[in-house]
Amino acid sequence: MDKQSEQISKSKKSVPLSGYVVLALALVIFSGVLANAHGWLSAFDFDTLCGKFGTMKDAGKANFAGMGGAGAKDGFLFAFGLLPSVMLAMGLIEVVEHFGGLNAAQKILSPILRPLLGIPGITGIALVSSLQSTDAGAGMTRVLYDNGEINEKEKMIFSAFQFTAGGTITNYLSSGSALFAFLTVPMSTPLVVLFIMKIFGANVMRLYVNKLCKKELGA
Amino acid sequence: MNDKSVIDVFVVGAKKGWNVGINNIIPNVLMAYVCIQILQITGLLELLGNLFAPVMAVFGLPGQAVMVLISALMSMGGAVGVAHALYTNGILTGIHITILIPAIYLMGSKIQYLGRLLGTVGIQPKYYPLMLGISICNAMISMLIMRMFA
Repeated sequence: MDKQSEQISKSKKSVPLSGYVVLALALVIFSGVLANAHGWLSAFDFDTLCGKFGTMKDAGKANFAGMGGAGAKDGFLFAFGLLPSVMLAMGLIEVVEHFGGLNAAQKILSPILRPLLGIPGITGIALVSSLQSTDAGAGMTRVLYDNGEINEKEKMIFSAFQFTAGGTITNYLSSGSALFAFLTVPMSTPLVVLFIMKIFGANVMRLYVNKLCKKELGA
Repeated sequence: MNDKSVIDVFVVGAKKGWNVGINNIIPNVLMAYVCIQILQITGLLELLGNLFAPVMAVFGLPGQAVMVLISALMSMGGAVGVAHALYTNGILTGIHITILIPAIYLMGSKIQYLGRLLGTVGIQPKYYPLMLGISICNAMISMLIMRMFA
């Protein structure tokens, strides 16, 4: 878990301006606010960047997966068709991370974590990482606990936050993208609901550890 | 930090996406499609649909939508596959998918995450049911919220 420790200590340093710029750009691209924009602005929309497969024969109905398929073969072609959006999403997130966007998000988050979730600001980087990868978040949480940065209660609250909708951003943008075309709301609406419910769930746990098992877990 | 160009960095991420797709999404979605196929051939899907119709109606969903939630517990990608297969079969509509989508993630991959997340962090197993309960409640509430927007 050396990599996790390294990331945690790195997060204590300052964030370059580019971090805030890429974070803002990523928020615009993934929010879908420019989904109906025209001209060059539409280049800042995830769905537009994903584009679409060409159609075969009966345009408007059948893409390369054809029509009327079933079983493993249909599932394979459907899943294969998901790869471009997964690759695009992961590529964009990698760029955001490289230019300090995640550190910027962590800097913005840190001061509000105590009132919002009852956990210290130091967990910011682990929290942001957990949105990308469940395993990275879990590893960093373990390191924070082992280093004494968070106590038993905070560990429980933080784990409850991560456990529901783990790897939120990556999972939603990768597999979820298969369903975006059918949504009757912008693709960012369900994502907002995911965050609200994650915070809600963590606070249920917060209430539980603070009220019901004071003695057992210690302060 | 600036030894790599934006293009290099993007390609590294896209490769990660390829690996996630090949190793996680395709196997899980394929499994989901096969399960749906079996359930449909045997008539179990209709049976399950009728059985859960009263419960799922609370969320504005047909009974068969319960399959999406059950498969979500095992894998998020699988649940997306089930949702897509049911949409293709005309059982689910866009509105249903909109109601279901946050729930897929809120209660998704719980079986794997018991080990990968709670095990790694070191949560005592006696708290697992509480953690699971919170996730499932979250999913139920999210469906009620989405019902208002969809």
